[in-house]
Amino acid sequence: MLSSKPNNDKVLKIFSTIRCLSRDQLPRYLEGRLTDVEKHLVEQHLTDCDLCFDALQALEKEENTDRYQDLTNKLQRYVHTSIQPVSHTQKIAQYTRKEKNKEHMLVYFWIVAFIGLGIGSVYVMRGHIRNQPPPMHIMAGLPAKDSSVTTAVSNPPVVTPVDHTTTPAPEATHTAPVTPPAKPVLAAAQKPVDSAALKKAAALKAAQHKAAADSIRKVQQANLLKQKQDSIRKAAADKADKDNKAKDDDNKAPAKPDNKPAQVAKEQKAPEPAKKESVAASPINSDEYLYKAAMVYQQQGNLSEAIDRYRRLEAVSSGKYVELARYQLAICYRSKGQMGKARRMFREVIRMDGSMKDAAKQALDSM
Amino acid sequence: MQQQLTNLSDKELISRARKQHDREAEGVLMDRYSHLLVAVTLPHISQQSNLDPNVVFPSLLQRLSASLKTQTIYKVNEWILHIQKGYLGKPEKNTPFYPSRDGRDLLHIENTVDKAATNIIDRQDLIVRLEQALQRLNADDRALITQFYLENKPFSDLSATTGISREKLRTQLKAAKGKLAKLFMNGYVK
Repeated sequence: MLSSKPNNDKVLKIFSTIRCLSRDQLPRYLEGRLTDVEKHLVEQHLTDCDLCFDALQALEKEENTDRYQDLTNKLQRYVHTSIQPVSHTQKIAQYTRKEKNKEHMLVYFWIVAFIGLGIGSVYVMRGHIRNQPPPMHIMAGLPAKDSSVTTAVSNPPVVTPVDHTTTPAPEATHTAPVTPPAKPVLAAAQKPVDSAALKKAAALKAAQHKAAADSIRKVQQANLLKQKQDSIRKAAADKADKDNKAKDDDNKAPAKPDNKPAQVAKEQKAPEPAKKESVAASPINSDEYLYKAAMVYQQQGNLSEAIDRYRRLEAVSSGKYVELARYQLAICYRSKGQMGKARRMFREVIRMDGSMKDAAKQALDSM
Repeated sequence: MQQQLTNLSDKELISRARKQHDREAEGVLMDRYSHLLVAVTLPHISQQSNLDPNVVFPSLLQRLSASLKTQTIYKVNEWILHIQKGYLGKPEKNTPFYPSRDGRDLLHIENTVDKAATNIIDRQDLIVRLEQALQRLNADDRALITQFYLENKPFSDLSATTGISREKLRTQLKAAKGKLAKLFMNGYVK
């Protein structure tokens, strides 16, 4: 094979590409001022390149290369001057175009952002408005409930003082006749104005219960038994109240011959319940205040605060207020949209089987 | 920028001028061939008094720049010569430039040689094929090619030994090269 020849690599040279003659190579070749290697490369290129060969022949015909150099300089300068400003203005145009594009993109971005914000705010506002009406309803509905509540509230002060007074009352009745003449003067001296008013009240009471007074001795005892069985119930309390008054009347009946001791006894009795009433009312009143404060919060629409109050009330107090607080809690939850909690609360109210049972049932049904 | 662009090949400069509308790349390309353009056009200018170099060269450059954007250019030197001849021969008509079939054969082989420069296996294969093609060339052409390419003899030596002028020698060499390219492309048997 031929591949063992030493010059086998040179075969590739036949088809290797060589750059055109450079500006100074051309005259140097003409003058023979090239190295052998360079000269060979130039000749190799000349066989392929018509342009370079034509240029060489043209230069050979010219007497001197001055004109060639001069014109080449001019042409190159012309190229430089014509290209430079154009490319510069082009670059500026490109830059400004880019900046404009950026600005456009920014404008689009802000437009989109504002549209998004607007939609979001409308959505939020609608949500807010949707949440608003329930408190309004509550406010509208509250007075009725409030009045019911206040009636319910007004009951306990009547109930509890009676509970307290039931026990001391008989004692007072017992003691009153035992110490007849000594105290009246003192008592009269201590509370002259009071005694007059109380006398009137006692006289009224006496007038009211005169009819019932005589007949109820036996019923009295039965009532006392009931009272012991369940002293908390309202009915029992009322009966006890009646009971007391009946006793008073009993006391008055025997004391009728001498009015003064009976009057004294009443004087002593009357202030006592008043004092105890105030003492007993204070815890209830605190519950009531808490409840009312919570109601105010609820009416103002501050549901979370109201819920907080109702919770506290529910935890602290007992009896009616727990039920009421639960009922209001349920309403708060409902207006807040927490239907599960509201239902649970309503159910609890129903389970408590109190005065709000029907309302809770209705509310639960309507949910 | 100018410095970086001058290091790029003609092909890259052309693609830059086309795709990125880079006037600088175009300028560098024109600058690279400006002296040859001047040398080729000089005889015409000196012969014809009506030709003003201040008019001829700018309009030539404009024509080149216009055709640069539309024409397929394999070899810049051929393209420039074609445009220049067209401009000087028929200034009113813009004759498009089409590379010849033989030229494309040559170009293909040149490209394969270029690629094989870094691959030893390809290189060996190419050498074998080229030598085979060279063996099938007629004796005169083979002798001329071996003397010129393999023995590095200059034109002057060759013309002295054979008694042929340099121009004739060059055309002979060119023709022999074309035949070799055809043999390589079509008559290759392993």
